[in-house]
Amino acid sequence: MSHEPYETLAAAYALGALDGQDRLDFERHLAEGCEACEASLRESAEALATLARSRPPMIPPPAVKQELLRRLAATAPTGRAAAPPARRPLVWAVGTVVAVIAAAGFTGTWVATRYEAQLGAMARESAALRARVEREEAVLREQVAIYRNAADLLRDPAAQVVTLRGLGPNPGATGRVIWHPVNGGYVFVANLPAAPPGKAYELWTIGGAAPEPAGVFQVDASGRGAHRIAPVAGGKPVKVFAVTLETEAGVAQPQGPMVLASAKQD
Amino acid sequence: MPTIGADLVRQMAAGDREAFAVFYDRYAPVVFPLILRIVRERADASDVLQEVFWEAWRDAPAYDAARGSAEAWMVTRARTRAIDRIRATRRRSETFVAPLDDGIAAADRGTVMTALDRLPEAQREVIELAYYAGLTQTEIAERLKQPLGTVKTRIRLGLERLREVMKASP
Repeated sequence: MSHEPYETLAAAYALGALDGQDRLDFERHLAEGCEACEASLRESAEALATLARSRPPMIPPPAVKQELLRRLAATAPTGRAAAPPARRPLVWAVGTVVAVIAAAGFTGTWVATRYEAQLGAMARESAALRARVEREEAVLREQVAIYRNAADLLRDPAAQVVTLRGLGPNPGATGRVIWHPVNGGYVFVANLPAAPPGKAYELWTIGGAAPEPAGVFQVDASGRGAHRIAPVAGGKPVKVFAVTLETEAGVAQPQGPMVLASAKQD
Repeated sequence: MPTIGADLVRQMAAGDREAFAVFYDRYAPVVFPLILRIVRERADASDVLQEVFWEAWRDAPAYDAARGSAEAWMVTRARTRAIDRIRATRRRSETFVAPLDDGIAAADRGTVMTALDRLPEAQREVIELAYYAGLTQTEIAERLKQPLGTVKTRIRLGLERLREVMKASP
């Protein structure tokens, strides 16, 4: 038998379409070690892979990756050598992205370029998303800590609760200060508009002649904010709590409009 | 020639889970549309995708870069598993061949011009029936009411042409 018929069989085999006696014949031929047919199958597989890549990439449902990583984490690394300890995955991943972009430049086809560019964009997006989640998580942790500490402070009989009322353009704004003469306290505000760019709200404690700055804070998208107030030096009694709108870094003496204030305490 | 894909598989073979995550991000968007094209249902396609990548992790130590790119390794695997899935469905439902959804195929071609569209219609047809619908050459001959020899020839000519097209624009 000449080799020519096997070339026909190799094509159907590459497409998974070979059946019956043809398949038995071809598999025997392969088993005998035909390099030409091996090479032909390899070339066909690469062409079919290129065909697959020429379709627009599609991001699968995220649950698939999550489930795979969960299964992976659940398997002890038995039967596999432990991962090398000195790896630096982030540096390496960045290297991959760079290499991917470089590869796109070399191949220069619109298909590869488009696909690799999407990969690069995906990597950047996921890094940005991760950074955002980390930032938001840090903010949430801080908020939770403030609420927990405020709740603890409330159990102290010496703590007092002071109500702040909206002034000027924000009559609907409200606030509460939980205040302890020795330990300081917390201020919680609601219904305040987000401070304009470069601005922040600043809290003041007024006991004697001049208001003392007690820190700057921002409110979230729902108009709420929480802020820890340091104790007043020397434990001097506070008669009024007030909030003004100031520059982001805070100022030593109030300059901006007052948005919240408490009634005078005795 | 060592490539990023082959490096990733080698790292997976060494038990590197980070490499697996990168490997997934790189190849899932390529093989998912192929699997979806074959099984048609998104839920089924997600199942097959998971199976395919799980097997890739398991079989990574057996990968030989000299025998083909990591991409071809994954595409072949994805196509095989997707066809297994539709063949199992066919056996259960005892219908011989689910009708090829011409609507989907045509809509697909309308938006995505692939190298297959550069093949003569008769060659494109047999390749699609084999590769995407999972029919064997005998089944294709029965379905098209053509002699088996004709189908074999079309398959061979079509695949040769596809390889040429792909070589011209890798």
